[in-house]
Amino acid sequence: MAMTGEMGRLGLLATLREKYFSSLGNAALSIICFSILALIVWKFFDWAILSAVFSAANGPEACKATDGACWAVIDARWRLILFGLYPHEEHWRSALACGVVVVMTVLSCLPYFWNGRSISVIWIGGFLAFYFLMKGGILGMPVVDEQSWGGLSLTVFIFVTTVLVGTPLSILLALLRRSELPWISALTGIVIDSVRSLPLLTILFAFAVVLPFLLPDWASGDKLYRAIFGSALFFAAYQAEIIRGGMQGVPTGQEEAAKSLGIRYRHRIQRILLPQAFKNALPATINQFVITFKETSLFIIIGFFEILASGNAAYGTGNWTFAFVEVYAFIAMIYFVFVFSLSRYGAFLERRMDVGDH
Amino acid sequence: MTKTAEPAITIRSMNKFYGSFHALKNIDLTVQHGERIVICGPSGSGKSTLIRCINHLEAHQSGNITVLGKALDNNILHIDEIRRDVGMVFQHFNLFPHMTVLENCVLAPMLVRKWPRAKAEELAMQYLEKVKIPEQAEKFPGQLSGGQQQRVAIARSLSMQPKVLLFDEPTSALDPEMISEVLDVMVALAKDGMTMLCVTHEMGFARQVADRVIFMDQGEIIEQNPPEEFFGNPQNERTQKFLSQILGH
Amino acid sequence: MLSAWNNIKLRNAMLQIIYVGGFVAVIATLIVMGRTNLQAQGIISGFDFLWKSTGWDVNFSLIDFSARDPYWLVLVVGILNTLFLGTIGLVLATVIGVIIGMARTTENDLARLLGAIYVEVFRNIPLIVQVFFWYAIVTRFPGPRQAINLADSFFLSSRGLYGPGLNITGLSAFLGIVAFLAGLGVIIWISAAQRFRRMDPARKTRLRWLILLGAFIVSLVIFWIGRIPDTSLVSMPALKGLNFRGGIRISTELSAMAISIAIYGGAYIAEIVRGGFNSVGRGQIEAAKSVGLTKWQVFSRVRFPLALRAMLPILTNQYVWLIKATTMGIAIGFADFFMVVSTAINQSGQTLELLGILMGGFLVINFSLAAILNRINRAIALKGNQLRS
Repeated sequence: MAMTGEMGRLGLLATLREKYFSSLGNAALSIICFSILALIVWKFFDWAILSAVFSAANGPEACKATDGACWAVIDARWRLILFGLYPHEEHWRSALACGVVVVMTVLSCLPYFWNGRSISVIWIGGFLAFYFLMKGGILGMPVVDEQSWGGLSLTVFIFVTTVLVGTPLSILLALLRRSELPWISALTGIVIDSVRSLPLLTILFAFAVVLPFLLPDWASGDKLYRAIFGSALFFAAYQAEIIRGGMQGVPTGQEEAAKSLGIRYRHRIQRILLPQAFKNALPATINQFVITFKETSLFIIIGFFEILASGNAAYGTGNWTFAFVEVYAFIAMIYFVFVFSLSRYGAFLERRMDVGDH
Repeated sequence: MTKTAEPAITIRSMNKFYGSFHALKNIDLTVQHGERIVICGPSGSGKSTLIRCINHLEAHQSGNITVLGKALDNNILHIDEIRRDVGMVFQHFNLFPHMTVLENCVLAPMLVRKWPRAKAEELAMQYLEKVKIPEQAEKFPGQLSGGQQQRVAIARSLSMQPKVLLFDEPTSALDPEMISEVLDVMVALAKDGMTMLCVTHEMGFARQVADRVIFMDQGEIIEQNPPEEFFGNPQNERTQKFLSQILGH
Repeated sequence: MLSAWNNIKLRNAMLQIIYVGGFVAVIATLIVMGRTNLQAQGIISGFDFLWKSTGWDVNFSLIDFSARDPYWLVLVVGILNTLFLGTIGLVLATVIGVIIGMARTTENDLARLLGAIYVEVFRNIPLIVQVFFWYAIVTRFPGPRQAINLADSFFLSSRGLYGPGLNITGLSAFLGIVAFLAGLGVIIWISAAQRFRRMDPARKTRLRWLILLGAFIVSLVIFWIGRIPDTSLVSMPALKGLNFRGGIRISTELSAMAISIAIYGGAYIAEIVRGGFNSVGRGQIEAAKSVGLTKWQVFSRVRFPLALRAMLPILTNQYVWLIKATTMGIAIGFADFFMVVSTAINQSGQTLELLGILMGGFLVINFSLAAILNRINRAIALKGNQLRS
């Protein structure tokens, strides 16, 4: 036993040497990387926790006395960042609405709900719950117009609506592009490729700012919904190619078998092609959702008060102008939590599918 | 073996092109109700294309095809009606991998024939018993062996209660030890009087059940005869060559 | 009518006519309605406005531009700025991406961990948040008088980064850099393309050095042609009164954009590089080792060429994405193509024409970038299925 213990210790040392000091280059790399890591961890820990000021009770002056993070600005302005200009006493509605979307996202990650009907029910139901919580006008909740929405809940609203409008559109575009009719597939291809090669910002700009010049007043609608439609179109152009890729992964024999059984086009698509195509396209789809969530932040440029804009406002006014790093760190954290967990989930799914269960 | 006056399938001077490639040349073929036909020939001879034209998986360019009294023309309703009554079994089974065996079998009857689920399932179970795998009904295709999958595919076609069954090389993708279980099912079907067109290289099967054996080469029907005649006294040179390659060693 | 609908040929024809016709009709209606609406506001459609002077200036330009210059010139300024920022961003992002990506494929856990932290942090935060962050940082440097002084040649201040520069026009600087990069591109092409495979290695090396030298000389010539008359070629920044004179100034907007694109793009490119290296089969490397190649030879002759082929198609998409991302410059006031066009729309009201130019411009830029990269990709692609490991 003593022998094996000895061997084990030697083994550990040997492993260490083998792993980190096997050659001069490797040793240098290890030492440099370790120093950087240690420096980052220590500096960050010191800045974010040890020397940080957490309470806004003593005002901005307390922060100026320290080198650490001034989390006091978050303490003082978190409601502005999360809820924007939403009426103060109704903030609970905005928070609850965001909670609904989180639950909705988690539910749709469960394989149990992976069929067209459940996913539709979850998303449309979640959207309606979100919308009526925010808008009010029922159950005695006072009406709050879209103009007053802001912060995290506006970001979430933009994201959910984009996806909800964009997904059916993307399926339609994908089907049109793989149509056997040459003119239909060619024109759809041109539209998809053009939208994809334009920056999202130019599309948002065209829909939000330029379109009212072209349309009569009655047809232009609200600026927010125009911009969301532009964003949904952009999402759909990318998602259509992802779904088409998924469709190409379905063997042609599947459709032939369905045809030979006399199943009509609509049912062939609904029951045979799409379920398999979606499964193939799932990792790429999650990735696209992640990108879309990040891109909602572009709405700030066309003048919407989403979370980044409310963050700018949070440090831009009063005595907090020095505390921009903390505000951006807070916003970055919010994005990070959502995006990181979703993309990890996507990577997990991809690995699981690679292993190849049925 | 009931033979009514009107044939099940009539093909008259039918031509099929892939671009400039002449895949089927001037095909004439009549199949009576209850007739069992085996089509053979070297690969690329157009035999699969021929039976795929019968349920319009491929479109022909000229000539006439009439199936069960319906002309395969530009009328979409005719295509739907023909496919409803003509089943097809594929080389690679083409089972729907995201559905259980039973769901595979009841999907088309429920969607196309509009049967209630109970009736469709009852019939499907009946056919699964016929192909001898009722116990696999709740499994997914991926969990079955090739031979089992092909038998499910046959049951799936039968669940639509077709009047004609097309087989497109049903045993070519199978491991040798699984071929016989599929052929047994096909022989049983033939005994029940199903109208069958089989593209296959299984000459034993042809001898056992076929009413007529058709030999195709380079898009043409070279020879068609009852099996005794076909195997015993092949007329055409190309047929002789093919048979010597496939049978003699 | 019903029988016509059931006729497959007629139905297909009708569907196509309805679809294409409907699309054309919607676009045409939009354009006609837009024109009438704009005419009601006294704006005459057409491209005549391109030759009128703008009456407004841009804050960053590679070529001489003033408020008296016409609209077409301001559009050129915008396109050049977009390409300039795009080039800087792509090059820096690629450098960062390759370093981090390589770190993530080493056998050293610490390097891998460091790379993973980098990628996960910067990839998961929206680019525009990073743009605002870096812009806030660079505009909060001390003013010119208290500028951070690095060896008397570089000065960091809230007005931008000042450094020694050549007294040459911005355009020639840009073209010179592009020429040099093109030279590097040709060298990579020669190293990887099938066409040069059978060339004698010694000659190949000589050819590469020659091209490098040639590209260098061409860049110098371009700089020389573009030099500003009556000045010394090299100029150093120096504090004169309230601001710096001389040298080159990299504006805060440009540096914030370049930093963010480099960091964010670098995180994505690192993942592409890692994927590329991971796609090289273990068998290939073992085979290379077994025939006695050194570590460097295994890398330069086997791992890198194979990984590059796997990376390039995905890299193309990423580059196109990064070029599109330069439009975020408008958020902090960098005068890129998009910002110039949107200002022009505000000022001139020529909405339809400018929108058309904007979209056309991006289509051309992105399609040509993709076309070039796809060409390279085809040139170095392995023929047949040599690589089905």
